[in-house]
Order: sequence, then structure tokens, then C-alpha cells
Amino acid sequence: MNNHAALDTSIYTAVTEAIRVEAQRILSEGQVTAVIGYAASRRKGSARPVIATDAVAADKLIFTAACVNNLAVYLTKAKKDIHKGGKIGIVVKGCDLKALIGLMGESQLKREDLYLIGVPCSGVLGSTMQPATELTTATIAPKCCECDVHQPTGCDFIPSVTVPSTPQLEGKYSAEIARLEALTPAERWSYWKEQFAKCIKCYACRQVCPFCFCEQCLCDRNKPQMVDSTPRPSGNTAWHIVRAMHLAGRCAGCAECERVCPMDIPLNLLNRKMAKELKELYDYESGLEVLEKGPLNSFAEKDDQSFIK
Amino acid sequence: MQNFISEQNLNVLLEQLIKSGKRVVAPRVNSGTPLYEPLSASGEMDLKELPRRSAKEAFFPVCEDILSYEKVGLNVKLSDVDPARFPETVLVGVRPCDAAAIPVLDAVFSWDYKDQFYLERRRKTTIVGLACTSSDDACFCSGVGLSPSTTKGSDLFLTPLEGGGYVCETYSQKGEDLVSNYKELFVDTTSAKPLPLAEVRTETFDLKKVKAWLDNNFENSYWDGIAISCVGCGACAFVCPACHCFDIVDEGAEKKGQRRKSWDACGFWKFTHHASGHNPRDLQPKRYRNRIMHKFKYYDDKFSQTLCTGCGRCIRVCPVGIDIATIVEEISHK
Repeated sequence: MNNHAALDTSIYTAVTEAIRVEAQRILSEGQVTAVIGYAASRRKGSARPVIATDAVAADKLIFTAACVNNLAVYLTKAKKDIHKGGKIGIVVKGCDLKALIGLMGESQLKREDLYLIGVPCSGVLGSTMQPATELTTATIAPKCCECDVHQPTGCDFIPSVTVPSTPQLEGKYSAEIARLEALTPAERWSYWKEQFAKCIKCYACRQVCPFCFCEQCLCDRNKPQMVDSTPRPSGNTAWHIVRAMHLAGRCAGCAECERVCPMDIPLNLLNRKMAKELKELYDYESGLEVLEKGPLNSFAEKDDQSFIK
Repeated sequence: MQNFISEQNLNVLLEQLIKSGKRVVAPRVNSGTPLYEPLSASGEMDLKELPRRSAKEAFFPVCEDILSYEKVGLNVKLSDVDPARFPETVLVGVRPCDAAAIPVLDAVFSWDYKDQFYLERRRKTTIVGLACTSSDDACFCSGVGLSPSTTKGSDLFLTPLEGGGYVCETYSQKGEDLVSNYKELFVDTTSAKPLPLAEVRTETFDLKKVKAWLDNNFENSYWDGIAISCVGCGACAFVCPACHCFDIVDEGAEKKGQRRKSWDACGFWKFTHHASGHNPRDLQPKRYRNRIMHKFKYYDDKFSQTLCTGCGRCIRVCPVGIDIATIVEEISHK
């Protein structure tokens, strides 16, 4: 039984070709020291992040529906040994670009240090545990169903390929947030308690997040121990609330946290809910422009003050 | 000894075991995620998919209390966990890659220190293995010398038959006891043929050559190349049937609390962070190197075994697609 329609990813062949040509050009001309992109690995249909430093490696770059990673994580303080200085190239989907814009706003990156290869994108897989999966309305990442940046802008190079119009996809996050908002606080709490109970504290969500660049995470501190470290209700709940709050107004929705969770915790729901609050309270969306201070770092008289009672 | 059991009788067996007060742990789908979990009814067992985490947690849980403390007046009252309270367990539907890891773990948990938490659970558990009839291209049990029909670690081993039911072979006294205690559920013969086993995906790696290279290449630029993309999470170690590092912490308040043991991973920066502030594995390639060294050299040096059974879980869950089978194969050709 398969009611799910296949999605058109035919542009990815041309996108791959264009990325290779451009990456080879900027590397051989010495414009960049490296290009962060994707290459295939052993498993059928697989793609993994690579740092191409020469034309041979650049010729292996690809773009497919398995190119799920937000490569912005490799430009953060957490990965100092990759961006050692000078200009670096990076392959970015529209959603990944929002994270780079956020990082620029937080003074973590300078635009002039980056050579952005933007990817016209029809969507990527929600999970790459089986990378040979066909991209369909069922296997597409939920974030892609609500995507407004299939065609990124403001890059140094974008393959001249037009993204085919995608069918109207059901917004899974908005539907799920609406469902949770309709619950009573007790029911909602019980839902999240059940979700957090699944956490095994592998911190894959933290490690792939471009905005989790603290050199020492609060949750790793033990002098004093700020948050219980074991995968039990108190520490798990504390970690996921710390994470959601720390990302509020910053998370640009790449949903990498959710994709990599080996226990299938719907982490991006928390991030989307925070984004919704920011939109409602401050008419703010992260990742759209380089801003030194977002609404949670600044005060304006028109800010909602109804919480002061 | 070889017997047969029908699908229906296997369910009856599980029901009777549950009724007798035994903890029956088997693959079960918990809100979409397959895991080895205690069953409350036989119908919950779901053998279709390889559970996301391995069977090691039946002996070595994600987290457990090892003692509790309470301040009483000027004294502190300590209470140990009593391992005698660990339940008799039957672990059912264990894939060969998971069952084979258990004797490997026995070596480290009964080495210089006898880990009573692990060993007592191990003593009280009967392992019912299940021949593997489905694989994907992350699977590489054959690479490390195992196969979809490896019986290593199983007390009783089931091979699925066409049209349902299983061939049952016993490999230990525990397995024989399980069959003889419920002998009315087993029959001597069947005309059904075994289902085809899972496709073998890889050639056997030359693990001697791998070790020989590791012996001499603690310092090698290869490590930088393979681990440059590693983001330093613990997903690979936590889903692994053989990784067994743990942390011990005290949690609670001033008046009372618990000392707890929970899974740890060498991929974490914090894993080797010293109290002095120094970190001997300061960069991710050094941490990833430890993962490979521990599995294919150190464990072999110490226990003459390989700390990997080729289940492929780390490959499936790695956020950045690091493929340990490719790495071991590459090293074997160096």
C-alpha cells in the first residue's frame, strides 16, 4: 500500500554538476581554503559531510535528497580545526543559510569569510537511517513541508536551476503544535514527560546544532553540577527545557536535532513552538537578516509587558 | 538438542513465563521506536525490525542506582542495592549480532572487578537468540566473522520456518532447562523448511591485519581524515551492543540522594576531561581513534576478542554518516 506521491528531485543532477564546477573553480583559483559539502559514502544513496580541499575532492561533491546535514555546524567554535582562517566555501540549503545568518548576527562568523554555494532544493529526507529511501510525501523531512526557502538568495553562487513547484504538503509541525496547544497543561506535561523519558543523553541533538556552540555546555558542568547528568526524568527534562529556551529566538528550524535523535523525540516541535511565540510576541523570525540583537536580547517600549502583574 | 515450536506456542510460552513472574524482555515497538523492553503480554513482541538499541541493557541498563544515602542526625545512612532483587529474566528474539556481544561483555565485567550488577542479571537471564532473516547495507556481521545464524551468546536459538514457527536448538543448560520446563509446547519434528537467512553483506575483514596496523599507527594522519566530520555525540556508543563505558555520579540533595551509574561515550569531550582542566583527547580525531582502537586493538590485547559484532547500528544513527565498516575495511587494506 502506498498512497504517497514521489517528489521530483530531478534538478539534483544539475545542482550536483554545478556545485562541482564551482567548487573546483574557487579552490583552484585559491579563493577559498576548503569547500564544506556532501559526498556519497559506501551505503546506497548515502551522503555525508566532507571538507574538500582540492579539485579531486571537489569533483566528488554531490547534492541529493540524502544531503540532510546542516553544514553550518562545521563553522562554529565547536569545530575550530575546520575553519582555520581565510575564506571557506560551504554548500547551503535555504534552511541551512538561516543558521549562518543567525551565526553572523551572533558575531560567530563574518560574511566576508564565507563563499556561499546556495542549493535550489526540492526537499530532503526526514531520516537517513536508510539513505536509499525515495523522496516522497511520506519520507520528506517535515521541515521541508513548511519550507519558504526552496530557492535561497544572497549567496555567492546559486546553480541556475529552477525548483519544480512542489505539491502542497501538510504542515506537520503546525498541525502537531495546534494539537498540543489544545490539550490541558496536565495532558501536555504528560506528553512531554513521555517524550523526555525516551532520552538517553547521547547529546546528538546538541552536537549537530549550529547554535549549540558554547565551549562548555551548562549540562556538562560539574563544578557545581547544574543539571543532573544521568538519563532520568529530572536531568532529561532540565536538558530539553534548557535547550529549547536557549534556542528561542535563535533556532532557524533546520530540524537537525530531531533528525539525529536516535530515540525519535520530536525535538523540533519545541523549537517551532518557541518560534511561534517569538512571531506572536515580537513579530520576529530568526534567520532572515543579520541582527546583532534579537528580541530576547533587547528591549523596546512596545514589547509585550502583560506578564508584569 | 533440536526441537520445534509453533508461532502460537511461542506466544503461550511467553505468557506462561510472564505469569510465572519472570521478566520477559523482547523487541517491542514503543511509540514507533523498536526497543528490547519487558513485555506485559506476548502479543507486544515485534520481531520485524532490529531494535534501535541493543540487548546489552538487559544486563547493563542505561542508568541504574548503585546505592542511596540519607543524612540521619549527624550520621549518614548508606543503603546498597540488593542484586538478589534482580528478577529472573528471559530475553527473547535476540538477533545474532546482539547475542554475540554478550559473551564479549562478560569478559570485561568479570575481569579485575566482578561487577555484581551485570553479573547477577547475567546469571539470572536465559537468552533466546533468533536467526536473522533481514538485513540492510549497514549490516556487516560477516565482516567481523559472525553470520545471520551465529549462535554465540544464545542459550536457546530459534530459526524461523516458512509459514511460521521455529527450529529450536539448545546451547547451554539454561536453554535445555527452558525447553524441558515447557516441553509440552515443543515438538520433535516438522516438515516446514527454514526461512532463507539474511543476505550476507560483506567479506570477512582481516582483523589480524587491522590490529597489526593499529598496533603501529596510534599517530597517523588517517585519524584526522576520518574523524574531521565527527560532531562528538554519543549516539554510536549508546546504540552499540558492545560499548560498555559508564559514568558514576551522585545525584540528589544535601539530605538524601543516590549514587548512579549511566552510559558514557568516548566520543564526548567530557569523557577524558581531567579535574586539572587538561584533556588528553582534546580533539575529536583523538576520541574517534579511541573508539576504533578499543574495538579492534585494546579489547583484543586484553581479552582476545573484538568489541564489535557488525550490527551496523552506529552507521545507521551517526548524524554525519561515519561508517565504521568502511573504516575497518580501509585499515585492513593498509
